[in-house]
Amino acid sequence: MKIKVLKRTENELKIEVEGAGHTLCNLLQKKLLENENVDVAGYDIPHPLTSNPIIYVRTKSPLKPEDALLDAVERAKEMNKEFGEALKRLLQA
Amino acid sequence: MLELKTLESDETNLRLLVTGVDTPYINAIRRIVLTEVPCMAIDEVVIIENSSVLHDEIIAHRLGLIPIKTDLDGYNLPEECSCRSEFGCNLCRVTFTLDREAKDEPVTVYSGDLVSENPNIAPVSDKIPIVKLGRGQKLKLEAYARLGRGKNHAKWQPVSLSAHKHLPKIRIDAEKCNACGKCVETCPRKVLAKSKGKVEVVDLYACTMCRDCVDACPEEPSAIEVNWEKNAFIFILESTGALPPERIITEAVKILDRQLKEFTDQIAEVQKA
Ligand code: SF4
Ligand code: SF4
Ligand SMILES: [Zn+2]
Repeated sequence: MKIKVLKRTENELKIEVEGAGHTLCNLLQKKLLENENVDVAGYDIPHPLTSNPIIYVRTKSPLKPEDALLDAVERAKEMNKEFGEALKRLLQA
Repeated sequence: MLELKTLESDETNLRLLVTGVDTPYINAIRRIVLTEVPCMAIDEVVIIENSSVLHDEIIAHRLGLIPIKTDLDGYNLPEECSCRSEFGCNLCRVTFTLDREAKDEPVTVYSGDLVSENPNIAPVSDKIPIVKLGRGQKLKLEAYARLGRGKNHAKWQPVSLSAHKHLPKIRIDAEKCNACGKCVETCPRKVLAKSKGKVEVVDLYACTMCRDCVDACPEEPSAIEVNWEKNAFIFILESTGALPPERIITEAVKILDRQLKEFTDQIAEVQKA
């Protein structure tokens, strides 16, 4: 996975994520929107076969968009960890 | 609180009741199962002799679609293998050979005729027809199976089905319901049953939320209500036999974790810049 910055200001971040798709972007977008200090969060895949997704985040100061993204990933990770543990318990039982 | 419950589980099927996750998460797992969890499939075929009625390409394509029992721990994905060879090595490739000939009688060549160099890596079923040979026709080839991902070709999908649906919520208003039984008759999935002058939900998981029962109810407004739980899902996974279903979902969780970690690292890079 490789992230390319397309636009970066105090409260805005637009990145192109090489090697990701709807799977990850949709998850992150929804997690971003759970944060009330996130103004706008969206993603677009301009062409279904040839493009990388573009994620756009705009936040309310003082929240930085990078931190909003990290927070979103963190919550996704948390859910995945819980799911993984529950799955392990289930399969061992 | 995240909870999992097995509703059905056998060699190839897994049906779980998942509570406490949201739609984007369960959808990510569903998609990763389809597109990212690797399994083996024949990827390259060297035809030595083919006098059957099918073209080489069609035979190669048919071979590619045969599900193969996969050993994820013993083999590497070609792009991750240290050999860096286009053709592969012992760690990223399994060789199959096939040699059949129809002498006096026509024969059908089956997946079971493929001879693997590793007895643990073999077609899931021996009974998949590849081609029919007429008298005097011959098929001789070497095929190479490799690990791959469903996003590149459907033959590398370890599942024939990966889906989720909301857990239905059915409420019958005992005050309004006159126990006429119309909803029971209408339900195509036999979710409802009448017993002792009352209508009950007997098979909630089978409900497709079609709401035919709601329309069938003569009461106005309807005495039966169909809705869904917000954060509860039924997750259905049907393996092709390439990998056990439990392994597939466990791998999916691992892959998602790896992707999220990679994303975090990349954002950290952005912050530094
Ligand atoms: S919604 Fe459809 S499947 Fe569910 S109980 Fe009603 S009629 Fe049956
Ligand atoms: S159709 Fe309506 S009134 Fe009749 S049994 Fe079903 S819920 Fe009750
Ligand atoms: Zn190799």
